[in-house]
Amino acid sequence: MIAIDVRKQLGPFTLDVRFQADSETVVLFGHSGSGKSLTLAAIAGLLRPDAGSIALNGRVLFDVARRIDVPPQRRRLGYVVQQLALFPHLSASANIGYGLGGWRRADRQRRVDELLALLSLQGLGARVPHQLSGGQQQRVALARALAAPVEALLLDEPFSALDEALRADLRTELLRLRRELRIPVVFVTHDLREAYLLADRIAVMDAGAVLQFARREDVFRRPASRRVAELTGVSNVFAGHGDGEGRVVVAELVLRATSDGAAPRGDVDIAIRAERCNVRRFDPAGVLPENCYVADIVADLAFGNTHTLRFAPVGPGPAVEVEMASRPYEVLGIAGRTRWVVELPADDLHVMPR
Amino acid sequence: MTNPAARYGRSLTPSLASVFATPALLLALFVAVPLVALAARSVNDGEVLDRLTTPFVLHALRLSLVTSTLTLGLALVLGVPAAYLLARARIPGRRMLVLLVELPMVLPPTVAGVALLVAFGRRGLIGGWLADRGLEIPFTTTAVVLAQLFVATPFLVRTLQAGFESVDSLYERVSATLGMSPLRTFWRVTLPLARPALLSGAVLCWTRALSELGATLIFAGSFEGRTETMPLAIITAFESSAGLSGAVALSLILLAVALALLLVVRVAIRQQPLDAA
Repeated sequence: MIAIDVRKQLGPFTLDVRFQADSETVVLFGHSGSGKSLTLAAIAGLLRPDAGSIALNGRVLFDVARRIDVPPQRRRLGYVVQQLALFPHLSASANIGYGLGGWRRADRQRRVDELLALLSLQGLGARVPHQLSGGQQQRVALARALAAPVEALLLDEPFSALDEALRADLRTELLRLRRELRIPVVFVTHDLREAYLLADRIAVMDAGAVLQFARREDVFRRPASRRVAELTGVSNVFAGHGDGEGRVVVAELVLRATSDGAAPRGDVDIAIRAERCNVRRFDPAGVLPENCYVADIVADLAFGNTHTLRFAPVGPGPAVEVEMASRPYEVLGIAGRTRWVVELPADDLHVMPR
Repeated sequence: MTNPAARYGRSLTPSLASVFATPALLLALFVAVPLVALAARSVNDGEVLDRLTTPFVLHALRLSLVTSTLTLGLALVLGVPAAYLLARARIPGRRMLVLLVELPMVLPPTVAGVALLVAFGRRGLIGGWLADRGLEIPFTTTAVVLAQLFVATPFLVRTLQAGFESVDSLYERVSATLGMSPLRTFWRVTLPLARPALLSGAVLCWTRALSELGATLIFAGSFEGRTETMPLAIITAFESSAGLSGAVALSLILLAVALALLLVVRVAIRQQPLDAA
């Protein structure tokens, strides 16, 4: 269990972070400069907060009020920095065994061999860092951080320097490791897909603050605010008005919204992810079902396996972006027509108080 | 990892090479000719080899080796921490301290000798206080070491400071998160990463100490077996009846020592596990 609640003023920038997690993976997600790395540095003891406290498994690592500030070397954390910082003068094995200074030689050797095997680095122990590939360096850094018994693992964009194929491998490896380790993992990334894949919980960070801390599904489906929705890649956020009974008016169109059970009243923001919107054939003689409206395609961006369609409303209703897999795109014959009916399913409309 | 220099090699434009070759060759000759002359003279002059083993030469050689090595040891003990602080600490007056370190490098050694004498001399600033307690420094072997320390330490400190500055402090922070105390981090990470600077700084310091003349002459005098180091002995020999032959013998020894040292250090630096990355 890790609990952090700290504040730090750095010039005009205020870091104000609070969250806690059990033996699960927390992803700190946000743009660069949002304070993710600073948060890790504070947990690791490399950045001294102005106020607040940090506790790990009931052990207080930092507490301004009680004047506790455990130095980094006694925090028992595995920390992989973004630059990796493998010691260039030491072999991979010596890097991995670096933190095992007090161990007997034989024990240390056994532990290093164990980690080399765990991270598929057999036979590379004698190499120095610059003789290793990016992915291998990455794994050595991870092994080094895990060598001594640690109570939490902190990973700062560890895969950012790698190509996509390697990233996928290492993510899989990390998911496996996490199941074996059963310790809190705090993972920093600005990659949305990576965040979702690895996280149990996501802390969405912006300008030094945690905007939302929740289970990953909730962050994606039920963003706490317009800003969170924007940061987590929700393409459609509309301004609207709630009637307090589960209906909202957006651009003169009345929509039913049931996604959260709550029924806010007054000014609200309504979010729906592009891939949750439906497109139906337009029948001039037909009656429009609930949550449907007529719109014209104004842009069609092909991404190979998906299409992103931009719709402009013909009558009432908001302009909307719809993402569609290439198969339904072809079956429906999207390319052949301009005018369609857009459906915003009530279950996927997320209403946020403004 | 691919930098342009590596990709293009050490390429050289031929026309520029032909222009630059002449001055470069002149310089090489200018340095080589006197050294060859020294060696040739000692071979031709039968007396020279006999002189190598006289007590006078042996005393001077032993004193030079002992004092310069002591100086290097003291310089390391005092200079390594100083260099690290100058490289890392954000202290007020850091620029002034750097200036203080650099000053002895540009000061004529004779000035250093005079300064040491008025500080540690019997009527000096603290020499009087020391003399009252039975500690007289001027014209002793201690004075030789102090004179060398004064002029030679800055070479170690400045070189090593630059070396420490080039070590990314991220390594030190990572070392801390791996459970290492700051002092162990220094021994295991910072100092090894600054090894090339440490070696070249130590060599500069040691050779400067070995060749020290001006400050020693004024502060320690020239007493055989006590303060007369090799450079001083060369002057004594030169002014004696033996004349040039004596000086040649002593010079040859110093030349051999310097050459051997240079080779040892070259090998040591090349054995650095790696310098890339």
